[in-house]
Amino acid sequence: MKEQRTCVPSEAGQLPVLAKFLQDFWSAAQLPAGQLLPFEIALEEIFMNVVMHGTPAGCKTSVEVSLALSGDSLTLAVEDEGPAFDPMTLPAPDVQAPLEERQVGGLGVYFVRQMMDTVSYARVGPRNRLRMSKHVER
Amino acid sequence: MKTRTESIERALILNAEGRLDFSAAAGFQKDIEQALSSAQQGSVGLIIDCNGLEYVSSAGLRVFMLAARTAQRTSVYFALCSLQQSVREVFELSGFNRVMTVQPDRATALAGLRGKS
Repeated sequence: MKEQRTCVPSEAGQLPVLAKFLQDFWSAAQLPAGQLLPFEIALEEIFMNVVMHGTPAGCKTSVEVSLALSGDSLTLAVEDEGPAFDPMTLPAPDVQAPLEERQVGGLGVYFVRQMMDTVSYARVGPRNRLRMSKHVER
Repeated sequence: MKTRTESIERALILNAEGRLDFSAAAGFQKDIEQALSSAQQGSVGLIIDCNGLEYVSSAGLRVFMLAARTAQRTSVYFALCSLQQSVREVFELSGFNRVMTVQPDRATALAGLRGKS
């Protein structure tokens, strides 16, 4: 079991910091580059959701991100201090709608659902915790 | 993320390179809007060559969606081409590949434009 953890302020400017955290973990664990995408997407979409919707105006909150590799399963967990919110309750976007009716809202969470093997939400004390796991071929 | 434009036949080609994440989306939106307006003024098509594009998230897709709508409204031929695997996967999951023209390579995108005129 290999685990790494980091904590950043919930600000859009931290996205590159988190992307690098994931990249570094990936290289250190010698995971195949071709399987990084679902984790890159999940990290960006969930973190940006917290920044845009889960951070009360004027509040400085932090987001904790961890990666844990256990056997051939990698778990990405994102914990934030925003109001209780389970993103998995968001309705799926209509991916068949014509261009004029397309909405991008909800698409990020939809990607996470489609790309990950399991996603689970828990409210732990004052924090939201979203855990996303996927099998990685090594 | 970087962009570079070139003109070939009756097309303006915008080469998109790097990572189109939330941080890059606003800058890319400016570049693509400028290219759309040049294409409209010059009565040429706009092709976004994604050969160098390594990553796109929903924030990046939003830029493509807005651009495709503007192109439709202003009757500018608009196509994407040469998507890498990781970008194609996101387009396919979102169904965006069905609401905008996505061609396998630049030659096919140019041929599509010739077919329109």
